[in-house]
Amino acid sequence: MTELNQIDLRTLVTGNKRAWDGFVAAAAPLINAVVRRALASYRLSEEDVMDAAQDVFVRLCANDYRLLKTYDPARAGLATWLAVVARSAAIDHARRRRQATLPLDDVPEANLGVEDRHVEKLKIPQGLLTERQMLVLKCLYDEEKDVAEVAQLLKIDAQTVRSTHHKALLRLRSHFQKEPQ
Amino acid sequence: MSTDRPTQSDKELWQSLATGRDVASWVVKAPVSDLDFAAWLEGRMSEEAAARIEAAVATDPDLRRAALELSEVLGQPLPIAPARLEVRAKALVGFEVERRPPALPGLFDWLFASDRRFAFQRAAAMSAAVVIAISGFMLGGGLGESMAQERHTYTTQQHDTSNDLSEFLVSDGI
Repeated sequence: MTELNQIDLRTLVTGNKRAWDGFVAAAAPLINAVVRRALASYRLSEEDVMDAAQDVFVRLCANDYRLLKTYDPARAGLATWLAVVARSAAIDHARRRRQATLPLDDVPEANLGVEDRHVEKLKIPQGLLTERQMLVLKCLYDEEKDVAEVAQLLKIDAQTVRSTHHKALLRLRSHFQKEPQ
Repeated sequence: MSTDRPTQSDKELWQSLATGRDVASWVVKAPVSDLDFAAWLEGRMSEEAAARIEAAVATDPDLRRAALELSEVLGQPLPIAPARLEVRAKALVGFEVERRPPALPGLFDWLFASDRRFAFQRAAAMSAAVVIAISGFMLGGGLGESMAQERHTYTTQQHDTSNDLSEFLVSDGI
């Protein structure tokens, strides 16, 4: 990761071969890890995963490094930005691949059926929860992540996550007890 | 990983609430750029800017999954990438000599090119060149006049030389 921070981006975007080779060597482990993690649920072959990772590098140098030139070191670290770009490219690659290779007839019928489980739910009024409270609840309940994982995502300590969660639930309980709908 | 998870009753309360995309109309729908998302993942944003991203991440399950996955990958030591990936990626950019564009074709390359592109323009250019050359030649008097003029000059020079010689001989009384 420290190697990525040493990349001379100005030289890289001029098309310098040595700079590109250095960049590839430094970025390959990150791009490889992000692509593999993103495609884990797609059940693609090793060859497809490699193609998806290669696609990330193609995007980075295509059209005279247009994508790389959009990176601004003042706003985010290169490793994090590359990880975001790599994941997005990998998901696009997998979706294209799936569209190209999976005819509708091959999809199990159970996956195509839509179960009617319509239950009237209560709406959370605007402004009742803060964006962070909403995100914490979504991560804990919808994504079934634990407090440590949410803390890692939000760059806060676990106790703050617990406290945010607790306050959010108090607000919800208080609101829906007052106004049962 | 911690087993610190919310209680069942909390979960039931949450499940009784509508929290999908359709009901979160109060959330700002502006798309989140890669750079903004990366800055948010690093915790570099102001509270106000971060709230906008957090609202988007809370509303959009794809973005939320991306955030959780990236946070996980970036927080772990990275395994070594397969050598094949590096080799293929490095081959995407060639050395400067390989990337140098071919020299621009000359006029004759263009005129006598074998492909059919600009065939009409090439034919017109060649016809114009022939017409200009012939006109120029005709204006200059043509080939016959040019040769006649050359012959005249030669004979005149010969005549002048013989006169000089006769004058020399006469002067010596020969």
